[in-house]
Amino acid sequence: MKTINIPKLKEIVGENNVKDNPADLFIYGSDASVHRAMPWVVVRPENVEQVQGLMKFADEEQIPVITRGSGSGMCGQTVPSQGGITLDMKGMNRILEINPPDVYCRVEPGVVDDDLNLALKPYGVFYPPTPASSRTATIGGEIGNNASGVRSVKYGATRDSLLGMKVVLPGGKLITLGTRTRVEATGYQIHKLIVGSEGTLGVVVEATLKFVPIPKFRCLGMANFDRLEDAGHAIADIMAGGIVPSMLELVDNVAIKAVNKTMNLGLPDVEAVLLYEADGMVKEAVDYEIDTMKNMCAKHNGTGLQSSYDAKERAKIFMGRKKLFPALSKFSELHASTSLADDMAVPYSKMAEMARKIHDVAKRNNIIMTAYGHCGSGCMHTKILMETSHQDQWESARKAVTEIYEYVRSVNGTTSAEHGIGLSKAAAFKAEKADSLELMRAIKKAFDPNNILNPGKLMDAPDDWVTATDLRYIVES
Amino acid sequence: MQKRKFELNHLLKWRNTLDKCIRCGYCYEHCPVFKHTRWETDAPRAKLIMLYGLLSCQLEPSKYMADKIFSCFNCQQCISACSSGVPLTEIFTDARADFVNTEFDTTGTTSVTGSGCGNCLTCVRACPHDARYFKDGHIVTDSIMCQSCGICTSLCPNQSVSSTHTYGTDRVYLNRLITDFLQKQEAKVIVFGCNWSYYPDLQSSSYETESSSYIPIYEKPDPEYKILITMCGGRLTMPLLLDPFLENGWGVLVACCPEGECENDGNLTSAKRVKKLKPILTSLDIDPDRLELVNIAHGDKAGFQKAIDNFMDKIKTLGPLVDERSMNQQIRNTKYSTD
Repeated sequence: MKTINIPKLKEIVGENNVKDNPADLFIYGSDASVHRAMPWVVVRPENVEQVQGLMKFADEEQIPVITRGSGSGMCGQTVPSQGGITLDMKGMNRILEINPPDVYCRVEPGVVDDDLNLALKPYGVFYPPTPASSRTATIGGEIGNNASGVRSVKYGATRDSLLGMKVVLPGGKLITLGTRTRVEATGYQIHKLIVGSEGTLGVVVEATLKFVPIPKFRCLGMANFDRLEDAGHAIADIMAGGIVPSMLELVDNVAIKAVNKTMNLGLPDVEAVLLYEADGMVKEAVDYEIDTMKNMCAKHNGTGLQSSYDAKERAKIFMGRKKLFPALSKFSELHASTSLADDMAVPYSKMAEMARKIHDVAKRNNIIMTAYGHCGSGCMHTKILMETSHQDQWESARKAVTEIYEYVRSVNGTTSAEHGIGLSKAAAFKAEKADSLELMRAIKKAFDPNNILNPGKLMDAPDDWVTATDLRYIVES
Repeated sequence: MQKRKFELNHLLKWRNTLDKCIRCGYCYEHCPVFKHTRWETDAPRAKLIMLYGLLSCQLEPSKYMADKIFSCFNCQQCISACSSGVPLTEIFTDARADFVNTEFDTTGTTSVTGSGCGNCLTCVRACPHDARYFKDGHIVTDSIMCQSCGICTSLCPNQSVSSTHTYGTDRVYLNRLITDFLQKQEAKVIVFGCNWSYYPDLQSSSYETESSSYIPIYEKPDPEYKILITMCGGRLTMPLLLDPFLENGWGVLVACCPEGECENDGNLTSAKRVKKLKPILTSLDIDPDRLELVNIAHGDKAGFQKAIDNFMDKIKTLGPLVDERSMNQQIRNTKYSTD
């Protein structure tokens, strides 16, 4: 561990914006992943000038800097695996401008997603990339991960909503990237490159985001399938059927059982449930899209077809999906729900096969896994439920993760749909992007010659995620 | 105090439960302490991580850690919000028990008795959680039982009961907010809400930074009234309820939980104070209708807004306070009992 000049840091950001008590460092060493490693100090800048000062200091001293929003990432992106300064951006949480005529807003990185949407609501618009963690996730973190969410099938991910940004580079230089216009063909779109870079290229201190009108009509439907494959075929048909759903979610049998067991929701004990939604300004158009999706589901043996425009009814239909997270956590006294093999994307035609693969892998490795996700975007999620204190369970998890990502690669899928790479998925990422890794390293060097920004992540992360850092669980040998 | 070895007698049973926390961070927005400091280390999730550090022997116990564990208003909003069903405040209570058995016993948001205590036992009788008692000639707090409701701090006739950490709930802090707000041209009314009746909109910034960075600029509060959250309505002292009138406020609205819905019976305490203050206001030539108490159920924002709108209509009919200087003088000279 390098000695850090704490008085200097306090000089830059103020006495009250620096924490170095071991308890604080321990807390900031975790996120929602399985990893754990302590930073050397935590600082909370309040403005751009302070970030510039910090980056100048860190670059001169060659101290790692890990930018952090709310720490809700699932792959260890903000776990300081090589120590250094954790830059807590929650101190910069102002919404700087809402500009309805030009259809954009400017925000600081610490603004929470839901807070932004609360502010946009009076203007009749919303910022679409809303991950499940939107109540706590910050815009800065969402940029780092290229977050998306349930409605990404229609509205896209963070990268699609980002017009421009201001970034502080190592050394403290502030640059302005992108534009405030809808289109731009002016050289490299570097701001798009920053999205999904997981804090390895620069510190985003301002983002210019576009927003879209809140639809007047929203209708949610549900269909049950006795065979997972039928649900998979329905997904593929819907997405190729000339319509754009605003949401298309798959919930598998393990998830249904978990929800029924813990919440007593009385969902049908089928292999899969599809939730489909359409929205728009004209009811007839929404009706058309919903009817199309209903017909696709019926064609592939979907039963129990129902749909509703009513907000309360929609909430009731969506309850099973919404309560999935807590249901998995409470599924068994012995098992904890871990963020492993947590996300991936595969072509639509492979969704059902992917879900089946997850079940097979789980069974073979004596762990519990579920398959669910925003299948309208080709996005699949899972969680590994295991007895975290047992060493052999981690070995099983290691095998399961490897097998799953080998399958993803074999069907031309991708390692991460929306959760990022961090530490947990580095091996699969490196295998998938083998021929572009050197180019990525060159880009990283151009931005960050001293390698101070989130070092040891993405292409530089260790292949073995189990030993990449300490695990956040107590594992008995 | 004799130094004793830190033992995890109470915490140990939560070892597996700590693994259940998926660290989603959904508890952040529900925690009054986090909302006040905006430090992740003060959020409920952070407390669990810290306790995990203790249980796994990766952290040495310290007064700093104890202080964090004792800094909790026990509002239990984090439990309601928890994705994984982790009983956070139960775990914190057990952690407190382990800390009090060592030299790391501390106070946090729990009540402490100052040197001016006259041993009148008012606080002992009033404590809804049986956390205060008389021992060896002094009134002391059982810091495990204490739920930081603040009822005792508002009752003490000598103002000798206080909390070490208040996180924006003490009179000095609130008075500064009141003063600042009522100096504005259009400002008329102060609305006091409790953390439960108007949850979850506890003022989310520290006083020093409110006008600069932490309050997002989109928050354009109504210029005619300001909502201040005080955790439990029972914390509202009579002086605090009169403070807005000292600053020429046109009226004060108090929102508490409905009868039978307050674990601390703070709504009853508050209702008694409002009732007692009305004749005092009359004696000061202030229309008693300028002070009103309403009962708002947990999370009923629509009901709360309606109550505010109705009160504002009434206050505007009553108009501004007249002869302000002389009236303020009278208020300052008035002696009021504490309960």
